[in-house]
Amino acid sequence: MKSSVPSGPHRERGRAHTVLALLTTGTLLLTSACAVANSDAAGDAGSADGRTLRVVLTQEPPTLEPCESSLTATGVVVRSNITEPLVERDPTSGKLDPLLATGWRQTKPMTWTFDMRPGVTFQNGQPFTAKDAAFSIDRAVNSDLACNVDGYVFGDEKLEVHAVSPTRLTVTTEKNDPILPLRLSFVEIVPRTTSTKAKVRIPIGTGPYAVTSWQTGVSISLARNENYWGKAPAYPRARYVWRSDASVRAAMIDKGEADIATALDHTSADKGNTVAYPNNETTALRLDGREAPLDDIRVRKAIGMAVDRKGIIDALLGGLAKPAAQLVPPGVVGHNDDLAPVPYQVAAARALVKQAAADGVPVHRQITLVARNGMFAGISEVAEALQYEMARVGLNVRIRMADTATHLQYQLRPLPRDVGPVALLIMHGNQAGDAAFTTSQYLVSDGPQSTFGTKELDRRIAAADALSGKAREKAFAEVLEYQNDTVVQYACLAHMRGLLGLSPRVRYRPDSATGDEMRLAEVSAAKPGRH
Amino acid sequence: MTSFLRKRVISSAIPLVFVVLGVFCLARLTGNPVDLYLPLSATPQQRAEFSAAHGFDDSIPVQLWDYLTNAARLDFGTSLRTGESAGSMVLTAFPVTLQLAGMTMLLAILGALLVGSLAAYRPNSLIDRIAGLLSMTAASIPDFWFAIVGVLVFGVGLDWLPTSGTLGGPEIWVLPIATLLIRPFGVLVQVVRGSMVGALSAPYVKVARSKGAGPQRVVFGHALRNSITPVLTVAGDLTVGLVNGAVVVETIFGWPGIGKLMIDSILQRDFAVLQAAVLLTAVTIFALNILVDVCHALIDPRVRQAVPA
Repeated sequence: MKSSVPSGPHRERGRAHTVLALLTTGTLLLTSACAVANSDAAGDAGSADGRTLRVVLTQEPPTLEPCESSLTATGVVVRSNITEPLVERDPTSGKLDPLLATGWRQTKPMTWTFDMRPGVTFQNGQPFTAKDAAFSIDRAVNSDLACNVDGYVFGDEKLEVHAVSPTRLTVTTEKNDPILPLRLSFVEIVPRTTSTKAKVRIPIGTGPYAVTSWQTGVSISLARNENYWGKAPAYPRARYVWRSDASVRAAMIDKGEADIATALDHTSADKGNTVAYPNNETTALRLDGREAPLDDIRVRKAIGMAVDRKGIIDALLGGLAKPAAQLVPPGVVGHNDDLAPVPYQVAAARALVKQAAADGVPVHRQITLVARNGMFAGISEVAEALQYEMARVGLNVRIRMADTATHLQYQLRPLPRDVGPVALLIMHGNQAGDAAFTTSQYLVSDGPQSTFGTKELDRRIAAADALSGKAREKAFAEVLEYQNDTVVQYACLAHMRGLLGLSPRVRYRPDSATGDEMRLAEVSAAKPGRH
Repeated sequence: MTSFLRKRVISSAIPLVFVVLGVFCLARLTGNPVDLYLPLSATPQQRAEFSAAHGFDDSIPVQLWDYLTNAARLDFGTSLRTGESAGSMVLTAFPVTLQLAGMTMLLAILGALLVGSLAAYRPNSLIDRIAGLLSMTAASIPDFWFAIVGVLVFGVGLDWLPTSGTLGGPEIWVLPIATLLIRPFGVLVQVVRGSMVGALSAPYVKVARSKGAGPQRVVFGHALRNSITPVLTVAGDLTVGLVNGAVVVETIFGWPGIGKLMIDSILQRDFAVLQAAVLLTAVTIFALNILVDVCHALIDPRVRQAVPA
């Protein structure tokens, strides 16, 4: 124990007092600093003044660059709010509607002509012409900017774009592309003064809102574009904040701190303040057919039969999904209405695995079930249920939960080597509305996100992609059926539904595009007692 | 004192170096950022250009050398995610965390001194038992659970506090600080109590009591000063933990601090920002450790005397 009579009492007491004084001064300084930093009493999302639409997202957009709008976190803020494309896809009917282009037609086998809307100006006052459209397409698809929209929508395709006149644009493809206008609905139009050397931080477009500030880490604020060519949106201002925890997002709606909250979790959201909607996402197990025992179609089929889709949906997904038989949900061109989810048949699945084992297939080789944290609410429980169900039919499965980057290593080519058989839990969203975007990624043999395939399937996909109209729908529907019968790259699980938090103060009807493109101009003040 | 300080700096700097080197190497084992930042259709040339532009095509030792030489010039590189300077991103985020951690720790120390002293003054009394139960409970509650329950109870249920955010009046600080505070407060109450019980039974306290010193004088004038050294030691460690542990609070409450920046950087393989954040955090922890040691030495001369010149 220390002595109470130190050698220099006054000096030591002075030191102790100094320490206490430092503590107290520090407290006061920090407290005063806080008070200075927090002079805005409205909070991050702003006050419920009826003039600011407050949206809480799951994460801060990594960028607002328009050519990155195919990224969900970017697109939900940018698309059709700040920038607009030439044409837009109606998320309900699937048909294309005019936006910055008033009309379009295929004038030659590989050339499409678009007529530009007159009288449109960008938020910087610059008039919109065909030259801007040509510039934007060139910048997003043909440049070295490495835009995500390029990879997701156009693949290796290069376009030749030409502004014939201020109101007319031609786009020529390398080969016949019957869905070019649909692809161009992903290209956001920017003024031709936009940098071609670097991606922009604050985008300029023709949309109903313009960015007024982006406080990194805190919020993004928008103000109504008073010179907007279309109908003026109801709210003069909009403000985005982000909270990664679904229960906090739900609480912000309950408490009146936000008007709209994305991607709520059925376990924490108040049903009175939420709206469920089909979000075009489909979950499935991608089975690596290059590795035993998954290289045996009987084992792959057995996995599909072992899964109790309805049980998982009811027990773990809050009923917010529908059993899936294919990678594309209803409403997407090529969806096959006749395909039914594989029935839940444990005994038959077990018999198939036994049959494979009898033929020398190493069915006890450990399969790694890779799933991504946060991909949807309850994913780890779903992975555990799948592990249990696969084990019940005689397979040996271990779970690996991964973050996005690690999951991508399993998902995209070049696929990892020497990792054994992998069943990858994926969630695929076909926001473009055409099965070509799914098959080119997930089903062709050398697709960026497929592990294997067959020449016949590749041929069928290529043939379907060259068609248009009803013939295209039929051909892709047959492709999906063929894959289920003879290739079985996937054990499809469920067509998912999103859950949107909606304050009673606002009225908004989410659709299948909402998760990627939430049009703020479609939100209005609610009449009392209804959304 | 100078010699003491010099030796403490040298001994504390060694783990700092290991942390910085470890994070640099481990980050590169997590995967290639090219896969995250370039689209599916990126050509091999684009991938190569991206790698070359960010130095990922160099060997790890070369990358490390570049990093260290640039860091010596206070150039921490550019964020892959935002294109901003990694150094400025970290310097923007860090004060937010420091403010939160500092406020929390000061309140935890002051609260623990009060509650711990009261408990120690009458051991095994009702106050002591209640303080013991509460502090044990507080030290055991998971912070993420406390945060969510706090949001639901005080934010939504009672409507006393905002659910989250960094803009607003003093009320926005309550839940984040309470969440961060609960564990260090619980631990410190135990430490203060234990230390004070010993101090209060020391002969000099008996002497002071015999001279007619009142309870306040005995506790705060005599015993507290001599029992504060272990409190400072534990508080120093807890503060270090707070800077790191702010991740949960920042994530849940939307605080744009260093913890959240680190998590985002790891998830986005944003090496430059991650390295800058770790370096600054490590240097801060290093400085905190030195500060705690200096406080020890100021209060207790035996500490500095124990270190040979």
